[in-house]
Amino acid sequence: MDDLRIPIGLFFTILGVILIAVGLTSSARAEFTDVNVNLYSGVCMLVFGGVMLWLSRRSTT
Amino acid sequence: MTLAIVDYVILALYFAFVLGIGFLVRRHVSTSEDFLTAGRSVPVWITSLAFIAANLGAQEVIGMCASGAKYGVMTAHFYWIGAVPAMLFVGVFMMPFYYGSRARSVPEYLKLRFDEKTRGLNAITFAIMTLFSSGASMYALAKLFKLVLGWDFNASILLSAAIVLAYTFLGGLTSAIYNEVLQFFLIVMGFAPLAFLAAAKAGGWEGIKAKLPEAYTHTWTHVGTAAQNPMGVEAFGLIMGLGFVLSFGYWCTDFLVVQRAMAANSMSAARRTPLVAAFPKMVMPFIVILPGIAALALMNMNIGYTLPSKDGGLDYDLALTTLMAKFYPTGILGVGLTALMASFMSGMAGNVTAFNTVFTYDIYQGYIRKNASDAHYLMVGRWTTVVGVVLSIGAAYAATLFNNIMDFLQLVFSFVNAPLFATFMLGMFWKRATGNGAFVGLLSGTLAAAATHGLTVAEHKGGWLGTTVNTFPSSMAQNFWIAIVAWTTCFVVTIAVSYMGQSKPVEQLKGLVYGLTPVPHEDVIWYKRPGVLAVIVIVCLAILNVWFW
Repeated sequence: MDDLRIPIGLFFTILGVILIAVGLTSSARAEFTDVNVNLYSGVCMLVFGGVMLWLSRRSTT
Repeated sequence: MTLAIVDYVILALYFAFVLGIGFLVRRHVSTSEDFLTAGRSVPVWITSLAFIAANLGAQEVIGMCASGAKYGVMTAHFYWIGAVPAMLFVGVFMMPFYYGSRARSVPEYLKLRFDEKTRGLNAITFAIMTLFSSGASMYALAKLFKLVLGWDFNASILLSAAIVLAYTFLGGLTSAIYNEVLQFFLIVMGFAPLAFLAAAKAGGWEGIKAKLPEAYTHTWTHVGTAAQNPMGVEAFGLIMGLGFVLSFGYWCTDFLVVQRAMAANSMSAARRTPLVAAFPKMVMPFIVILPGIAALALMNMNIGYTLPSKDGGLDYDLALTTLMAKFYPTGILGVGLTALMASFMSGMAGNVTAFNTVFTYDIYQGYIRKNASDAHYLMVGRWTTVVGVVLSIGAAYAATLFNNIMDFLQLVFSFVNAPLFATFMLGMFWKRATGNGAFVGLLSGTLAAAATHGLTVAEHKGGWLGTTVNTFPSSMAQNFWIAIVAWTTCFVVTIAVSYMGQSKPVEQLKGLVYGLTPVPHEDVIWYKRPGVLAVIVIVCLAILNVWFW
């Protein structure tokens, strides 16, 4: 069977990059919070995606 | 709420990935079992996440957040006593019979254990129920998107149905399960920031406690009598009705979830599926219920947050989306809405794949064409996917035309489902139980449920039999008691009727009943053994209950 960790890893890596880009370039904040939600969520997703890809590489080599 | 281009890019990216997974999996589908039972080849981490994701539909996510705002932390009972104990039971005690019998579906197990009519009753009611529940969730989602985003109702329904159809048609159950894992992670990542931000804004758990009445922040302290708590239920009804009858009836017998465990690649993996799934299931309340409780606290802070009103009360179903509007800027807002879409798709694909298998193996192969080639059943399975999706769309439109039809059907389905666990329990653990006993027991359990509803009243519902025997403090209490009555009736009648007839010879019950089935030898490292896992889950569950006591 295909390794599901690859598509999941790729998806969250791309999503993480998009959110980090939005977080760094846009100063838009939601009404109730001054936190840069996009940046922090993006970093979490990038890390998660990276771990998924790393796990899948590690088990094949 | 308006979306920017980047939000649409995220939604499109998600669509591309779910379809991509469908294409990727397609190469492995060559027999009907590959398509309908995933060829029993899926690793345990995937089946266990799919096990909870298939249940985590959009109505569940929206509904749990709404209940959090309406009832407070008591909503967590739906997870902590209303799901986890039953998940342990199905993994430790029941999976050896489901997986070991080589049945391809839950109704097929009933045929092997009891007889044709019991299977037929279960297969047909289950098939109809899955179609209506996928239609109902499609309707709810399209209505919500129209209300919050102004999207066209028809476009939402057709687009989301087309995508689910595409990937389940391509890769069958494997494709649905693989996507459920992606959807599960997306749901967690899309909603967890909201739970965190909303709770932080309300001052953390201590802050929330200070802003709400006592009964909203305790799970067990106020269940002595129904009048003390916002749910209007008392401890016995809660534990027996929700914690035993309804929860075991759903998690141990509903093919939608059991199918995920049966797709695992070994007996050991099948048994571990619900046990491993219990860990994320236990912490889901922090992601789906906590935002609702925080919403209630935010309303009491007078900072400009309030739920829209509806029919004189508050429209709790909008708790999730109104919070998103207040806390999510463009970007993560796209992720949040994509997560909502993902939860809808995981629920709908779950219904569609379960419908597929039951229709193809239990109805088509059982009653329409018995001895065809496997290629024929694969073709039937594929086209059943299309028919199933089309019928669900029909059900969604039926819901728009007749306002109360979904409420009515849900009520009827709850009568049908309530007695089920008594049948399975007797079937699996009492070799004397007969097919006639099971069939008559199920029917009388359903009738008893309907009669209880007709003789009792709660929140102006029920009582259609003329006389009112009892008035319940809430419809939830009424539901729990209907379930208790139905289960007890089915249990007693099945035993009585079984004693009147001949049971199946012992040779035919090998592998199907406790005591006649060798206990599977677990040749795995100690921490992967079902018993050990179950004990760890129970300890964690106890800690959570004491923490929020």
